[in-house]
Amino acid sequence: MRKFLLILPALFLLSGALRAAGNPPTFTLGWSVYVGWDPYQYMAKSGLLKKWADKYGVAIKVQRFDYAPSLDAFVAKNIDACAMTNMEALDMPAAAGVDTTSIIVGDYSNGNDAVLVRHNLTLGQIPGKRVLLVEKTVSQYLFERAMTINNLSGELKRVKYVNTSDSDIAGAFLSDTSQDVVVTWKPLVSQILKGKGITKIFDSSKIPGEILDLMVVRTEVLNRPDGSGQRFAKAIAGAWYELTAQMAKPGPEGDKVLSSIAEVSGDTLASYKEQLATTHLFYTAPSALEMTKSEQLKKTMELVRQFCFSHGLLGDKTSSPDDVAIRFPDGSVQGKKDRVRLRFDASYMELAAGGKL
Amino acid sequence: MSILQIHAQPSRTTVWILSWLLFATGIVSYLWVSRARHLENPDDRVMPTLYQMGRAFADATLKPAEDDEVTGDPNQQSLATKIRNSMLWKDTMATGRRFLISMALLFPAVLLGLHMGMFPYVGSVFLRFVLFFDKIVALSLLPILFIAFGIDELAKVMLIVVGVAPTIILDSFNLTRGVPKEQIVKGFTLGAGDFAITYRIVFKQIWPRVLNSIRLNLKSVMLFLFAGEMIASQDGLAYRIALLRRHMGMDTIIPYVLWVALLLFLVDFGMRTLNRKLHPWFQEA
Amino acid sequence: MISIQDVHVAYGQAGKPARNILNGVSLDITAGEFISIVGQTGCGKSTLLRLVLAEEMPLSGQVLVEGSPRHRPDRRCGYVPQKYSLFPDRTVLENITFGLEVTEVGFFGSLSPARRVRRQEFQAEAFGYLRRMGLRESDAVKYPHQLSGGMQQRVAIAQALIMRPKVLLMDEAFSALDPGTRLGMQRLIKDLWRETGTTILFVTHNPREAVILATRVIALGRTGGDDDGANIVLDLPVPDGCDEQRIAGLIRRVEQSTFPDGLRTEEVDAAEA
Repeated sequence: MRKFLLILPALFLLSGALRAAGNPPTFTLGWSVYVGWDPYQYMAKSGLLKKWADKYGVAIKVQRFDYAPSLDAFVAKNIDACAMTNMEALDMPAAAGVDTTSIIVGDYSNGNDAVLVRHNLTLGQIPGKRVLLVEKTVSQYLFERAMTINNLSGELKRVKYVNTSDSDIAGAFLSDTSQDVVVTWKPLVSQILKGKGITKIFDSSKIPGEILDLMVVRTEVLNRPDGSGQRFAKAIAGAWYELTAQMAKPGPEGDKVLSSIAEVSGDTLASYKEQLATTHLFYTAPSALEMTKSEQLKKTMELVRQFCFSHGLLGDKTSSPDDVAIRFPDGSVQGKKDRVRLRFDASYMELAAGGKL
Repeated sequence: MSILQIHAQPSRTTVWILSWLLFATGIVSYLWVSRARHLENPDDRVMPTLYQMGRAFADATLKPAEDDEVTGDPNQQSLATKIRNSMLWKDTMATGRRFLISMALLFPAVLLGLHMGMFPYVGSVFLRFVLFFDKIVALSLLPILFIAFGIDELAKVMLIVVGVAPTIILDSFNLTRGVPKEQIVKGFTLGAGDFAITYRIVFKQIWPRVLNSIRLNLKSVMLFLFAGEMIASQDGLAYRIALLRRHMGMDTIIPYVLWVALLLFLVDFGMRTLNRKLHPWFQEA
Repeated sequence: MISIQDVHVAYGQAGKPARNILNGVSLDITAGEFISIVGQTGCGKSTLLRLVLAEEMPLSGQVLVEGSPRHRPDRRCGYVPQKYSLFPDRTVLENITFGLEVTEVGFFGSLSPARRVRRQEFQAEAFGYLRRMGLRESDAVKYPHQLSGGMQQRVAIAQALIMRPKVLLMDEAFSALDPGTRLGMQRLIKDLWRETGTTILFVTHNPREAVILATRVIALGRTGGDDDGANIVLDLPVPDGCDEQRIAGLIRRVEQSTFPDGLRTEEVDAAEA
């Protein structure tokens, strides 16, 4: 009896060692519910991601978060890749010293983010009034761009922002009719527009290409000496472009894929398509590459980094926006060359475009 | 070893040292990990160093919030003016105002509990409802509160009141019932009427216990206050924390949290002292 | 003065048979009597007192004080309970003057000069009572928790008597005191009774105390089975100026009627001590 008991733990340890030896390296990808990122969940559930992961000899776990916690997890290095906007990629991980690389430029908001008002207010009438939004996010960026484009940037000081959490902003704006202005994103925008007397006076389609949705990976993960990080990135890119190709198919074939994606994130096909309509998704790798390598991207990031710096989002130690530098695919750097923290990497998209994945 | 036994008798110095042990351990571990993180990544924002926190706190105390209008030249302002314009001061004032208003509104809750306990008809009408209402999680009522009160100060104060009032009412009710009936009968035999008995005998007796009850519910009040500020606000301590969280400003968040703890401690201490001074006859403090 | 007419008291809970406490008790008390109500614990003597106090209402029958029925406690009957007899949040002086404060000065009385004068008057009266009770002037600003049990009861008696009630109801008022203090209190209440001529109803479970103090001893006991309520089993006048032997005899008679198993006062006292 005693001998048998001794053998048990030995077997256990042995099997653990065997398991470890035979295990592929595991990576975690975080996502939150948003039209441009829901495909990741479908990828995981349908086995598409596993197919690509197996091809490259890695294991990929996909984990759902609320948006802000997903950013926290990425900054804390608890997850290896995360879906986020260009602005957050700059002011969260990059500004916190976590070197981050964008491997996929998925889409840009083409009307998903909007400024809504009561009583048909114009932008010029807003200063002095209260604006409900989630402060220091894309919404505030959108609003300030709206004002700047209309030569009202001098009036921004008179605007009173009311920081309202996204989970309550729709309800709050709809029920308190004394509030005149709200800035938020779909599907909350669609919900709010159902109320009486509310109109949209500005949206992200007026600043196309400025609010980008990215899939970012920690640079140190990509740079792992055994190359597993790069394989991880390739797997993601491969799965992503295969799925977007399916999504792009017209008619019932495409719809079938879209409705599966919608279902898996708890949405209906109609509502998902409505959100897609105001999202410029880069269905093909070449279209994504075009944006990634363009001058427009540099102009966008210049606007974004100035916004972040002027609102203190880049951290207290930074004395200028150059302290959190951005590197582009052509090697050019916005900011101090020795302080690059955010990189746009086109190589995986190029591999996808060339069919080499 | 008699250290671990019930009749162990540590000396006063030992007790003092031991009571600071966990603080010391916590602070030392934090500093250790923070230093390690900073060696690896000098820009780390998740665990700021003491210096960073100190500097952030100094900034919060002396400089206005980044989005506020800066009136006048900062270099020419006196210390007092700087503090009054500072982020910390304004946030504290905003939160403090809401706190005090809600505390004042809790007073009628005490009176309701008192009347429920003394007058059977009042008790019959209110008791069942208050017991039910006590079980409703106030945060889940938020949409209804927004519709009824908007998203301004009133809604935040009402959130606190709705969340904490039932507890205070029931506490006050139970304390009222706990007054020995001999005292009430005595009051009658000495010629007192209903209201004299309610206010001059019962209320006076339960008041120190009610103050204690309110003091114990301070944490609840702060919880609801913070929830309200984090959901929709323009200013306040919790508002600032919510905002800072968005870009991991832990160097300011941690000092803020400690500041709030200090304030709560002071309020608690103040209430305890007040209770002792006003009611020297109350021995259970 | 007091007329208790055929009162029934029972406590019942839904679904259970009612427990009878008092079964058709009738008693007439004339003004100036000192009545002791004795009996074993739970025999209903406190209940009887509470009926006169009007803290409880009988199921049937009625209680009349000076010819009118009682609906709630009022000034006509003063009350000294066994415990919680003083207001803990008030000083001794405030306790004694409480009744007068409430009835003559009222909430806003301080505004009226006439009432302020009246307040000074009855505060002086309260000091008089303090001295009569054997307390010192320095005790006047003490709080009840700073006094011994005996002193508390003295103050409670003063508090009740200053209102000049028609009847003083005392519910085991001395039962929580040690024998030495108890003796002093017994002398005090007998003296006060002689001075003021107040009718006193005194509930106790100690037959000796009952006989020593009273002019008339009422004993309650169960005549029927355990389910039946109690009734008066003895109504014994105690003449003035009895000698020790006579008193002993009366005590034994009370004991026999209330302690049917033959226990005697000393044994009961010894058990209590």
